[in-house]
Amino acid sequence: MQLFMQQLVNGVVLGATYGLVALGYTMVYGIVQLINFAHGEIFMLGGFGALFTYTVLLPSGTPVVLALILMLLGGMAVSVTAAVIMERFAYRPLRGAPRLAPLITALGVSIFLQELVRNFYPAKSPRPFPQLIPPDYLINLGGGVTINAPKLVTVIAAVVGMVALSTFVRSSRTGRAMQATAQDPDTARLMGIDTDRIIVTAFVLGASLAAVSGLSNGLQFGTVDPRMGALTGVKAFTAAVLGGIGNISGAVLGGFLLGIVEVMATQYAPSPLSGGAWANAWGFVVLILVLVFRPNGLLGERVAARA
Amino acid sequence: MTVLEATSVTKRFGGLVAVNDVSLTVSEGEVVGLIGPNGAGKTTFFNCLTGMETPTSGRVTFRGTPLRGRPDLILKAGVARTFQNIRLFPNMTAVENVIVGRHARTSAGVLSAIGRGPRYRREERESEEVARDLLAFVGLGHVRNELAKSLPYGDQRRLEIARALATEPGLLLLDEPTAGMNPNETAAAVSLVKKIQGRGIAVVLIEHDMRFVFGLCDRVAVLVQGEKLLEGTPAEVQSDERVIAAYLGKPPEDAGPKEKKK
Repeated sequence: MQLFMQQLVNGVVLGATYGLVALGYTMVYGIVQLINFAHGEIFMLGGFGALFTYTVLLPSGTPVVLALILMLLGGMAVSVTAAVIMERFAYRPLRGAPRLAPLITALGVSIFLQELVRNFYPAKSPRPFPQLIPPDYLINLGGGVTINAPKLVTVIAAVVGMVALSTFVRSSRTGRAMQATAQDPDTARLMGIDTDRIIVTAFVLGASLAAVSGLSNGLQFGTVDPRMGALTGVKAFTAAVLGGIGNISGAVLGGFLLGIVEVMATQYAPSPLSGGAWANAWGFVVLILVLVFRPNGLLGERVAARA
Repeated sequence: MTVLEATSVTKRFGGLVAVNDVSLTVSEGEVVGLIGPNGAGKTTFFNCLTGMETPTSGRVTFRGTPLRGRPDLILKAGVARTFQNIRLFPNMTAVENVIVGRHARTSAGVLSAIGRGPRYRREERESEEVARDLLAFVGLGHVRNELAKSLPYGDQRRLEIARALATEPGLLLLDEPTAGMNPNETAAAVSLVKKIQGRGIAVVLIEHDMRFVFGLCDRVAVLVQGEKLLEGTPAEVQSDERVIAAYLGKPPEDAGPKEKKK
């Protein structure tokens, strides 16, 4: 039982990373029906932006809390800048084009960003990431179940991100404009909504949350890698589809579910199919099952429908 | 004072001239009817006025300022519209639909909303009040929190009008406001348009219900095959032979069977 609870906690932690990144997929999809496969790279850039801020911009001896805040802002700045440029120059010219065109463009942008970072840091990858929150600081959750500090931060960030985002979309002026744009972009424009700006806003919000995830990922594992966005991106996309792509709560739910399934399968699957090597396979089995039996995902609506 | 001045507006789609050299002037607080057989280019003309289509040639000014291009900017200038086929945001409530109409008249940005700043809170409160008042104005106060898609057809039309009014227009374009309405609903629509006029808002309406048009409008313009056939008071238009011919077809010179064109 203790083992089970511990694994449940581990699954939730893994799922929090997926969920934060999935929010970006789901929001952009909800508004422009684009699956932005380069979003995983936005997550990766968030990690590298934070690392760059720490190694290049911060004087040594900066207090930890201040350093973390500045690293988060640095990571966000990099992620958001990349997302805005990508939207403006790669996706906007293709608006109204057949869906396959922006999809292939997204794959191209994804590879471009990976190689860009790899060339920027040619020496060694993965790069070490400062362990500002000590990973051996364990918090006891009772019954011998523990979670370390960086992981706890990740989970809190995911939950806060989801609640903040869905409140924002449901009840703010810009959020309502996002819903309106998702439901009927032409009419939204006739209501005085600058839909281009709303689309950029969706990219910016998604990139900010991905940067949070990129930073917390670095803190958890102590490394960042130019390729880390690829798998996390696909997993987060899976999470978004699981929850019902376009649905904000669904993205986080899908993230947690996927994380838990992967961890549990690693532990409890019958012998030749268990262990870390099979975690990804199990994750995608879940995706396939959901697509077969509930193609619209578990919660099934679009952002449009009810944030 | 002139609210809208459209001068020689022409819209071509390839070889088809949908709107040909149409001019229309609307004064402050006036109700103008735009009638004509199906396919005459009435809705295309509306689209040219609201920026949904860019006119091939011609000029549109609103209170003396030229209107060009983007629908969101034209709305901001003060031209709002409703649609022939209702285009509400189906999964929002009635009141939310109207609040979206406030978008151009509010300005709190993302940061202000996240921080719940004082300006954000004031604007939100004002928008909600305006939306409630407008719903009451069009007679939908009781269905405020229903989803737009679950409202009956007539209510949806009125909700579209409330949403358009929320943008604080100087000119309101109504595209077939009584389509699909029963006589009671049509009568209510007449008094609603009069109330809108009473607020000092000019109205241009496309309509096929002639009793509605002639009973309500100060002036009527007739569009036939993309061109303006004539314009005048309801009495003038009603008695013009060309209008009757446009709707029903001319009796042929020789004694053949009458062809109905409508």
